Amino acid sequence: MMTMTEATEDVSYVDAISQALDEEMARDERVFLMGEDIGTYGGAFKITEGFLQKYGEWRVLDTPLAESGIVGAAIGAAMMGLRPVVEMQFADFISCAFDQITEVAAKNHYRWGAAVPMVIRAPFGGGVHGGPFHSECPEGWFFHSPGLKLVAPSTPYDAKGLLKAAIRDPNPVIYFEHKFLYRRIKSALPQEDFVVPLGKADIKRVGNDISVITYGAMVHLALESAQTLADEGIDLEVIDLRTLIPIDKEAIYSSVRKTSKAILLHEDNKTGGIGAEIAARLAEDCFDCLDGPIVRIAPPDTPVPFSTPLEEFFLPKTSDIVSAARKLAAY
Amino acid sequence: MATDIIMPQLGESIAEGTVVKWLIPVGGMIQKDESLLEVETEKVTLEIPSPATGLLNEIIVHEGKTVPVGTLLARIDSAPPWEVVNRVGGVVVRPMASTPAGDQHHSPAVRQLAREHGIELSQVKGTGVGGRVTKKDVLDFIAQSGSQVDVAAIASEPSMGEELLPFTQMRKTIADRMVRSKQTSAHVTTFFEADFSSITKFRETLRQDSGQSRRLTYLPFVVRAATRAIRDVSIVNSSWGEQGIVVKKDIHMGIATALEDGLLVPVVRYADRKGLAQLAKEIADLAERARSKKLIPEEIQDGTFTITNHGGFGSLLSTPIIHQPQIAILGIGAIQKRAVVIDDAIAIRPMGYLSLSFDHRVIDGATADQFMAKVKHYLEHSHWEQIL
Amino acid sequence: MDVAVTAKEIKRDDLLQMYHYLRLTRALEDRITALYRQGRIVGGVYTSHGMEAIAVGYASALERDDIIAPYHRDMGAFLIRGFTPGEVLAQYLGKRAGPSKGKDGNVHMGDLRRGVFGFVSHLADNLPVAAGAALAFKIRGESRVVFTGTGDGGTSRGDFHEAMNLAAVRKLPVVFYCNNNQYAYSTPIRLQMAVPNVVDRAKAYGMPGEIVDGNDVAAVYLAAKYAIARARAGEGPTFLEFKTMRMHGHSEHDPAKYVPPELLEEWKKEDPILKAEQLLKQLSYGDDSYFQEVVERVKKEVEAGVEFAEQAPLPEGPEVLEGVFADKADSY
Repeated sequence: MMTMTEATEDVSYVDAISQALDEEMARDERVFLMGEDIGTYGGAFKITEGFLQKYGEWRVLDTPLAESGIVGAAIGAAMMGLRPVVEMQFADFISCAFDQITEVAAKNHYRWGAAVPMVIRAPFGGGVHGGPFHSECPEGWFFHSPGLKLVAPSTPYDAKGLLKAAIRDPNPVIYFEHKFLYRRIKSALPQEDFVVPLGKADIKRVGNDISVITYGAMVHLALESAQTLADEGIDLEVIDLRTLIPIDKEAIYSSVRKTSKAILLHEDNKTGGIGAEIAARLAEDCFDCLDGPIVRIAPPDTPVPFSTPLEEFFLPKTSDIVSAARKLAAY
Repeated sequence: MATDIIMPQLGESIAEGTVVKWLIPVGGMIQKDESLLEVETEKVTLEIPSPATGLLNEIIVHEGKTVPVGTLLARIDSAPPWEVVNRVGGVVVRPMASTPAGDQHHSPAVRQLAREHGIELSQVKGTGVGGRVTKKDVLDFIAQSGSQVDVAAIASEPSMGEELLPFTQMRKTIADRMVRSKQTSAHVTTFFEADFSSITKFRETLRQDSGQSRRLTYLPFVVRAATRAIRDVSIVNSSWGEQGIVVKKDIHMGIATALEDGLLVPVVRYADRKGLAQLAKEIADLAERARSKKLIPEEIQDGTFTITNHGGFGSLLSTPIIHQPQIAILGIGAIQKRAVVIDDAIAIRPMGYLSLSFDHRVIDGATADQFMAKVKHYLEHSHWEQIL
Repeated sequence: MDVAVTAKEIKRDDLLQMYHYLRLTRALEDRITALYRQGRIVGGVYTSHGMEAIAVGYASALERDDIIAPYHRDMGAFLIRGFTPGEVLAQYLGKRAGPSKGKDGNVHMGDLRRGVFGFVSHLADNLPVAAGAALAFKIRGESRVVFTGTGDGGTSRGDFHEAMNLAAVRKLPVVFYCNNNQYAYSTPIRLQMAVPNVVDRAKAYGMPGEIVDGNDVAAVYLAAKYAIARARAGEGPTFLEFKTMRMHGHSEHDPAKYVPPELLEEWKKEDPILKAEQLLKQLSYGDDSYFQEVVERVKKEVEAGVEFAEQAPLPEGPEVLEGVFADKADSY
């Protein structure tokens, strides 16, 4: 929940991220940035525009095109006590650094007690005609790597608060920012420093009939659908996970105990997505509270296609949510 | 193959109609010519027969809505809508026309509710898909009947002044355990008093700092102090074995938890390895699940020491009964502000009595007092911020 | 060039200390191999047998607060940084007293306080990490250096390229080395790369490179000293190719029948301990009775380590759940 004190004018999702970086760099001299085209160019999405001038070339590093090398270097710098924030130009390129992330960053503390306080920012998600390599949601690969924390904000408030929390966390955090939301949503933000703690979901809409558990851009789809369904007397509760690892089991369980019906909604492919894990946990830990089958809404198991009608078919829509909710409500 | 159901013209000059009632729920099966819905106009209310056999896939106009003639009301699919696209999760609909009562499949939530309230599900009318009993149906049934259910038959004499409360399994178990414990151990109880100011202060700082509800009860602090005292006087964490006294190296702390109808002692495992926040979390979780009867057997086994918080309703001192096969149990009474003497002056401090019942077969008074002195010391002098 | 001439630049005590560590490394790894053959050590055993001069030489050339990011044939560096034989053996035996507390095995040890990074099995992964530590030094304006390397096989991986490139572009204070022992498991050098020497690659990244006799501890030491000085002075990375021969198999379970026996026979004459003794005699720093003293001394050290490790307790099952996440991150 947002506490609004002394809010100023509305800030967009993308500017919220920029503000978080700027404030953390000003507050803590250990924080520095690495990424392709983030310095002179100001970043592919202009998030770090002006940072090079403000913080200098040794805190805003334009790196060679080498994701694995950059992430590895961030690990080394983090172990020495700095707080690197690495930018993947698109989340799709994170696969080049998969080895360093999952074998080195994730396992270092477990194996020899060395903390790796770093953040990797990954602009993910589709709906921007990006095609297979600029629209991916790769969080599922890392969901499965013990030692990593994963976050995915859906609002400007959460975007700013979670990035700050991620930077201050002593563990490797992958921060999935949704590129579709960058300039499409705005909200007022508090003036003073605030943090959204990792590991806490947020109830974006309180309801009684069906729990919709989701994250990222899909949160907004769920809220839209909730309005339509409210007119039909179906009351959705929308749980925004905000953090994927560590997941807020308590929030999920207490919602489903109330509604007894659950829809898992995400933009990542269906098979083996996070929805599958949550569905399994609900069946294991909340079996006695279920009054209907656990439903997942997610794209089919294909790469993200480019052509508009294909991408529209691929991505979940409000009509999918509405129709699934109607069926589940009547079950 | 989909068939459209449209608002029919129910007479000349009729331009609109009202959907009164859908006779089949969404996803239900309907035969051709079977009544599908009731429609009302100014002149008349009629049942509309279905033009096709199939599943009522989608209701577009809901009960109570008035629409012009010709409006699309619903769609019937002649083929069941199994997963056409692997995108939306399948709510697999069983096209059950009707099911004999008692033969029905009931969902876990429905069964759980029925169990808790002693309800016969065959008596409950189902309004879900295919006539299924839903959670709401059970809740509505409970609200209507409004009775508290007694599971066992109550046999009572017409005369006043006597009521027989049949033994529950829990009561029998508790009775047996308590008597046997008294017969097994040589129970002695010693009483100490501890100053809870440092703990109270720390709790207050926490409450102010966190803003959100980060409240710790006194119990995690007592648990923590007890585990440290056990490390110092480890014989207190033992049991009477066949060949000698078996001192347990692990500390699994039982927390006596009052239930509506009895008592359970769930166990916090490896309690000495946990900080205050984690202890608080686990204790709260175990208590909640104890009360909602969701503990698994492993969670009430293998305790090595027990703490009982008997101060809830104001009790100051207690002579608790040892939880076999342990050899001691620590009671913590109500914490109250009292006038105490410190440095020859009177001060007001939050004080609490600690009652330790111990098995005199295993340890003597001196050892017990040593242990309690340590508990008191840790309660009064720990650096709580480092233990959170 | 007569190494003895340049070796005179090295202080007598430093050279004697290096000899001690050559002997200690050899004794410890031989003992580990023996325990493995007796079935008392499980898992993989990878030694630096016949290649001890590399780690001993470069680790001796570093300052205490420089960082080492080694790979699996650098036991000498661990010992010089203060990892005791007891700790190393506890690590191999999977005991809680080992640096990994049982979470990882064999040479996968690390300790930020002693300035050694714990590496992963994916070779060359340590190189970008080393470059990152060097980046931290540059950002903070510290005159510390990072020393890192891998085998001939490791230089085929992408991370080798990305690390070398990044370090050269940003002139980071890191020294890269390659332990070219001519075999990567069963793959001979000719199937590993098309260039005759690994050092030929250095130029491609814009850094100087040098070929060094990897079995001559004095040569290794001097080359390392030079490269370290360059890095500390802000002149950027250097690449050192240490030529040597892998005298045992890839790991101790590998009989390495694919290595021509004549090659091994030839290289036996180049044994680093033999060469060190020859050098010490030449410089009149030591004689056979002195060498024997050192052998006895390290034997005792190793045996004390064995006793410690064998008595140390194994971790308990539930400890598997500990340490996935850190509560805090300090500066080093």
